[in-house]
Amino acid sequence: MFTKFKNAVSTMVTSSWDQVAIGREADSFDPSVSQNSSGSSGKSGLDRKSKFPYSRPEFLQLGSEDEVQVAGDHQIRPIIVPRDITKLPWNSGYAEAVNAGKSAKNEDQATIYVGHLHRDNGRIVRQIDEWAGTPKDELQENMFIQSLPYYYLSVFDGHAGSGAAVVASRQLHHILHNELGRRENNPWKQSECEKPAKLVDVIDHLLPPLIKDSDLRQELHGVTSKNSKRDGGMAFWLCHEKEVDRDKLVIGALESAFWDMDQMIAEERMKYRINGGCTALVALFILGKLYISNAGDSRGIIVRSSGKAVPMSHDFTPETERNRVQKLAMANPELLGGEYTHLDFHRRPFRSDIGQRILYRDAHMTGYAYKTVTPDDLKFPVVYGEGKRSRVLATIGVTRGFGDHDLKAQNSRLHVKPFLTPEPQVLIFDVAGEAVDENDVLVLGTDGLWDVTPNEKAAEIVTKNLVHFPIDDQSRFRYRYTSAAQDLVMHSRGKAETKSWRRSDGSAATIDDITAFVIPMSVYKSEYLQWQRDDEALREFFTAWKDDVVKRVTAKRSSGEQGQRLPGKTAEPKESFSARRMAETSNSHQCSTSVETLTNGVSHEEEANGIQGFDEGENRETSNLP
Amino acid sequence: MSYAYLFKYIIIGDTGVGKSCLLLQFTDKRFQPVHDLTIGVEFGARMITIDGKQIKLQIWDTAGQEAFRSITRSYYRGAAGALLVYDITRRDTFDHLTSWLEDARQHSNSNMVIMLIGNKSDLESRREVKKEEGEAFAREHGLVFMETSAKTAANVEEAFINTAKEIYEKIQEGVFDVNNEANGIKLGPQHGPANVHPGSGNASMSQSGGCC
Repeated sequence: MFTKFKNAVSTMVTSSWDQVAIGREADSFDPSVSQNSSGSSGKSGLDRKSKFPYSRPEFLQLGSEDEVQVAGDHQIRPIIVPRDITKLPWNSGYAEAVNAGKSAKNEDQATIYVGHLHRDNGRIVRQIDEWAGTPKDELQENMFIQSLPYYYLSVFDGHAGSGAAVVASRQLHHILHNELGRRENNPWKQSECEKPAKLVDVIDHLLPPLIKDSDLRQELHGVTSKNSKRDGGMAFWLCHEKEVDRDKLVIGALESAFWDMDQMIAEERMKYRINGGCTALVALFILGKLYISNAGDSRGIIVRSSGKAVPMSHDFTPETERNRVQKLAMANPELLGGEYTHLDFHRRPFRSDIGQRILYRDAHMTGYAYKTVTPDDLKFPVVYGEGKRSRVLATIGVTRGFGDHDLKAQNSRLHVKPFLTPEPQVLIFDVAGEAVDENDVLVLGTDGLWDVTPNEKAAEIVTKNLVHFPIDDQSRFRYRYTSAAQDLVMHSRGKAETKSWRRSDGSAATIDDITAFVIPMSVYKSEYLQWQRDDEALREFFTAWKDDVVKRVTAKRSSGEQGQRLPGKTAEPKESFSARRMAETSNSHQCSTSVETLTNGVSHEEEANGIQGFDEGENRETSNLP
Repeated sequence: MSYAYLFKYIIIGDTGVGKSCLLLQFTDKRFQPVHDLTIGVEFGARMITIDGKQIKLQIWDTAGQEAFRSITRSYYRGAAGALLVYDITRRDTFDHLTSWLEDARQHSNSNMVIMLIGNKSDLESRREVKKEEGEAFAREHGLVFMETSAKTAANVEEAFINTAKEIYEKIQEGVFDVNNEANGIKLGPQHGPANVHPGSGNASMSQSGGCC
């Protein structure tokens, strides 16, 4: 990303802008220095410690400082792939290569996280048991646990320092899942702010309970759902009154997680050293779908087994976001400090152009029109440059992501951050609904990959690799996605010639950090379909059990024990696990039956255990059938 | 712990000849009979002493599979030493040496020291390549030769250390430009300006393996 700054500088030096009296000294620009020395707090960020030490992605298992250093060898730029590919779901491929020396460290980061949304239906089961007067020693414990697995894979491309990318790679998934607010020693507590849960918050929509409390009450006591509202523990069922599209809830969870991540960096940079900024690209596999959430210029594409490349994200650069940035600048002229103009010109006007007509674009335009040049038009455009060289405030080449809170326009006191946003764009691919096989893959990459490898070329490289490692090659099949990722990085990195990095056709390779994921989708699809069958079976089984209990009790009552009302306490659930959880959290919107499990693990073992636990629950249940 | 020099090595040769195991034996002093295919590149590091000087060996273990050949080639440049390995129980791995050597000569710096290694010397009963053949090949191509066993550790230390000695001698003779990192040699921290990573002197030196 540093090149972006450098390019801006070089463009400035070679262009005729110096004729405009803005007074920039290009050669004194150093993004990291500018950022640290101009922090709004006035304190240097250098004396604060990093929140997380610099490292490479956990699944690479680069244990020692030595290995991290070797992986970041700017001379050799080794292509690093995981030592143990079982650390990645579905034998997914990953590869990375460090930059050719433009920054000291590889500022790309990546994270894999396998999470589970859990629902313990124990309270409902206990209610039914109590109501039916089941003897204590026959009470079932921890029955009917539902667990919804999801997979999170992300890439972050840092600039002007590695801090923001490291923090985002360690925390965004927790914010997305969010149990952070309720854990001991959690970072939110340290910063004395709690953010509402995301996925966990909407678990009732994502993983509906086996039976709604209101329905259960009606069945057991004839109590209407209206009355249940008075019960504090039932309050969350209110959110069921109007069913919302599940896609909207997952998208909302991603959007708010992105927003909160940026807020968290803003708050914590007062305490820790979190330098620079980063883009974020997240692939979330949940409920049979793939949600690609992008803020920045990393990119996700799906390579279909036909070899076709389907874009799954949109690059956010000053060029593609010119309208948004110009509109912001027009509405808030103070952000330009009288130094910049929100207008865009077909060519920069000179002093000699004053009074002449020139082609321009305003914030509300995509095409050009003529205007007469005024002295104000000689100011530097808020967005300038084309393609990879486009810049906001002549400083930054990416318009979405996290961090950059202290970034100032070069040689200026102007803040860049107001023009940036962490808002992602979320696109959806219906994995379960589409025909996918083992050759349908998702490719995620930072701009280092895409700068020299266009989508179609990437699709070609991936397809070639998948053909090379066919499904009947049992010993090598599992390496096919790793090999594809490695070849993608190789294609963008090229080989070192005497003075520069070149691709095999002699054209320039990238000197940027490069990161690539190649993720097969068919295994997820079959996992999800299996999960769906299991969940349906569990629901059917629960209903059968419940109906049986109701039938028995009703029969018992009508045969002469009519007067004996069941204990009142069953109507008001006694302080149960869920009620305790409610008390623990100050967040009244928290759905009480949700529990986060599985945190750090990404291994299949843990994932399998989660599912196994669920199966065991079901089996035990079966043996308890009356 | 500080070092006077850092030498970068590369291990090359057909798949399954024991490259990763040689590295593991050298850095960790252990043998793992079954190990995964190496894709791309692995590292190991160890300190040795030559002529009273601490020398850090940073070893790059490459993929032998033909599919990864073009990537392996990109690591030749930047290595001061190469261990070219074949398996004495598999004639084909010996037959492929010429092609490996061509690759190495073409893509490395011209001063790279190449050590030819016939591995699996413990499997005498299954030997397909005579020791004399290895010696002859080495003589013909100007390589140093040794038979080793990653399993019993026979000659493993010697193979890595003798290569280092050759490189060290070349430095003494002024053949290597030690200030150009592209030659696979780096001066240690105490040598001042040439060193660009002062932190590396503090890193754990004994090993950083996990290759197998």
